[in-house]
Amino acid sequence: MAWRFLLAILLGGVCYLDRTAACQLMLHRPLVVATLMGAVFGNMAAGAQVGVVLELIYLARLPVGASIPPDDTGAAVFGGSAAAVASSSIGLDPGSFTALLLFSVIVAEAGKAADRFVRKVNVRIARLTAESVDRGDVQAVEHGLLAGLTLFAVTGMVLALVFSGAGVAVSKELLPRFGPASRGNFAILLPTLPLLGAASVYACSRTERTSAVFFLTMAAVCCGTVLFRWQA
Amino acid sequence: MTISPPATRSRSAVWRRQFLLQGCWNYEGMQNVGFAYAILPALRDFYANRPEDALKAVKRHLEFFNTHPAMGALVLGASVRLEERVAAGETDPRAIGTFKVGLMGSLGAVGDSFFWGALRPMASVAGALLALLHPLLGVAALILLYNGVHLTLRRRGFAAGMQGPEAVVAWLKQAALNVRTDDLRLLAAILAGAYAGVFAGRFFVQGGGALPVLASLLLAAAAVHLFSVLFRKAVSPSEILSFLLLVGVLILWR
Repeated sequence: MAWRFLLAILLGGVCYLDRTAACQLMLHRPLVVATLMGAVFGNMAAGAQVGVVLELIYLARLPVGASIPPDDTGAAVFGGSAAAVASSSIGLDPGSFTALLLFSVIVAEAGKAADRFVRKVNVRIARLTAESVDRGDVQAVEHGLLAGLTLFAVTGMVLALVFSGAGVAVSKELLPRFGPASRGNFAILLPTLPLLGAASVYACSRTERTSAVFFLTMAAVCCGTVLFRWQA
Repeated sequence: MTISPPATRSRSAVWRRQFLLQGCWNYEGMQNVGFAYAILPALRDFYANRPEDALKAVKRHLEFFNTHPAMGALVLGASVRLEERVAAGETDPRAIGTFKVGLMGSLGAVGDSFFWGALRPMASVAGALLALLHPLLGVAALILLYNGVHLTLRRRGFAAGMQGPEAVVAWLKQAALNVRTDDLRLLAAILAGAYAGVFAGRFFVQGGGALPVLASLLLAAAAVHLFSVLFRKAVSPSEILSFLLLVGVLILWR
């Protein structure tokens, strides 16, 4: 298990760097992160299932200006690792799946608080950089940026360790305490989660024609799915 | 005074470094350290034997700066060209600050709207739909769809900026990002409708008959509408999920 956590820390560090500090190549998106974490903890498909739902939920919150959206990367680290571990122990039934997705909101908010903390520490780094440049040290700019990057990377790695550890702990210790019947009750909430994700995209894609296009496509695909099922 | 244009090596160093524009993002100067870091190789070229002027130039770029990271490439390219003119004594150094301040807000708004508000949702929902077929297909689609556009615009923006600040406006007009934003939003809405339809069909329809199917579809559509109204009233997804978690705990409690 130790090497799995080591790999989770390394991948988590890269994904968290991509989130704010470097490149923004979308390696930090929940679909990517949860799939990776699922693969690291033994079941890529289970991780991807969580990623598919988490991917859209937080899109309604844009990282505009100084506002920080909830940490969906952290939610995916938690959800992906938890789903993979649960699938190989109690099984990833709809109830456990729903519970993991809902628990991930705590992780997303904790990650957001950590992000805010890093940016506050960066204020100090930026001030020190400016002071050094005032004294004539031009290279301080490179050192300042390296310090900021290191802080983002280290925080990302720590968060990846904590969140994947929390995911494994929830799947191994918390979920088995509830019987299959109790977990089944939890599954009542499952249909709302993908719809929440779709609403998130719908809300941030407003144009004159969005409503008609969205609901017509939804109706057509839903009817198509049902027809396909009946024929099968 | 004649100054040679930035050497290919320093130009490519500036291009590489612009990917770290947010490397030291902070609440005071925001992307200021990242911007100064990115433009530093060009400044070293222009002020090779003038350390005092180099220091002044670095200080200029440690002023507050914030824009969308992908649009930063455009400002960076144009700032390199302006610095070149300042070093040659053709332009007042204050013109750089005015140019950056004048452009960063509007470019930030355009970039946020295009990249965060249209391209990312479209790529995300396309990736999520394809991941239902195979996880790696979804991941590849998300990364390729987003970065195909993102990296192309970064590269073209940087090249346009390097032609000079005058070329920036022409490039923005030619790129027509506002029109593309609307197109991508419409595409995202179609894909999100398909995503909602797939899950509505999967979860809600249990029994046979047309009436339950219609009722399920209407229920799902009402749920989407309700959530989108809540989002527009600035309710966070976390707040909705927390509420659902509370409901789940109450169900377990019973």
